[in-house]
Amino acid sequence: MTGLIILATFIAVIVVAFATVIQKKLPDTIILFMGVGLGAVVLFFVFQAPDVALTEAVIGAGISSLIFLIALKQFKEVV
Amino acid sequence: MNLKRDVSTRTYSGFALSALLVLTILNVLLQNVPEKVERAGEKLLTLNAQEGVANAVTTVVVFFRGFDTLGEIAVLFIAALGIGLMLSSYSIKEHKEESNFILQKASKLLFPIIVLFGVYVMIYGHLSPGGGFQGGVIIASGVLLLLISDQNFEVPHSIISTLETFAGISYVLIGLIGLLVIDNFLGNFLPHDISEMGMLLSGGIIPLVYIVVGIKVGSEMSLIVQHMIKRSDDD
Repeated sequence: MTGLIILATFIAVIVVAFATVIQKKLPDTIILFMGVGLGAVVLFFVFQAPDVALTEAVIGAGISSLIFLIALKQFKEVV
Repeated sequence: MNLKRDVSTRTYSGFALSALLVLTILNVLLQNVPEKVERAGEKLLTLNAQEGVANAVTTVVVFFRGFDTLGEIAVLFIAALGIGLMLSSYSIKEHKEESNFILQKASKLLFPIIVLFGVYVMIYGHLSPGGGFQGGVIIASGVLLLLISDQNFEVPHSIISTLETFAGISYVLIGLIGLLVIDNFLGNFLPHDISEMGMLLSGGIIPLVYIVVGIKVGSEMSLIVQHMIKRSDDD
């Protein structure tokens, strides 16, 4: 059962990563990028790396995506 | 401007090419599996018991690879310096748009809790998952929340620079004291008895170093976030 959940998470991460690359709207890309980070957090946690999971949650899914969003907003104001 | 981009057939062919490359590398790797895999992790884990720290990852990051952590902090410092140089000519924006009432009030309520959680992650870095980097970034995300919600809020520059200087100097000082006392940069000169493993005051200098790292990362990330949000509009 756990194996199935892990497999489903793997497939979901790959699908969301693919969607991130082919997504046409930039804000949606960032939200999907957060989704990739979230899936990675689950995988890291399941594979007994809670330190890496916490780092990924805080930096990968959290603050880097927020910085992307801020940069996009400013870009919109400038152009 | 329309924030859309074109996804050409090149992207898809790039996907196909990288899949091919990955399959080739996997094939080569599977054919040449080494008979005896060297595992550095087990050696480090057996050494970990001598330091009396419950979280083995912290021992590796702060103690066995403490010098690398110093380098990582230097890299982060250079990144903050570069962002400060590039975006330094910021002028505080006028009241363009007031943020939402709920966001204004809730951020004031949430900020202390976020900072408390960050400090917890930082101080308990040698007992539970987490540590200086994560705690510092959590505190910086609290600062980001305040910056988004309140247009007039500004990170106090003098306090931040004092904290950062203090943290950087004390990291190197702790390392140098270790060099003086037990001939080893970042040597563990404080008592670190194995019987105290799991206590808050255990592991000698390792919690101290992680707290210092947390202060440094938190202040640098806060400055980066402030520079990103409050940059000038004139270019």
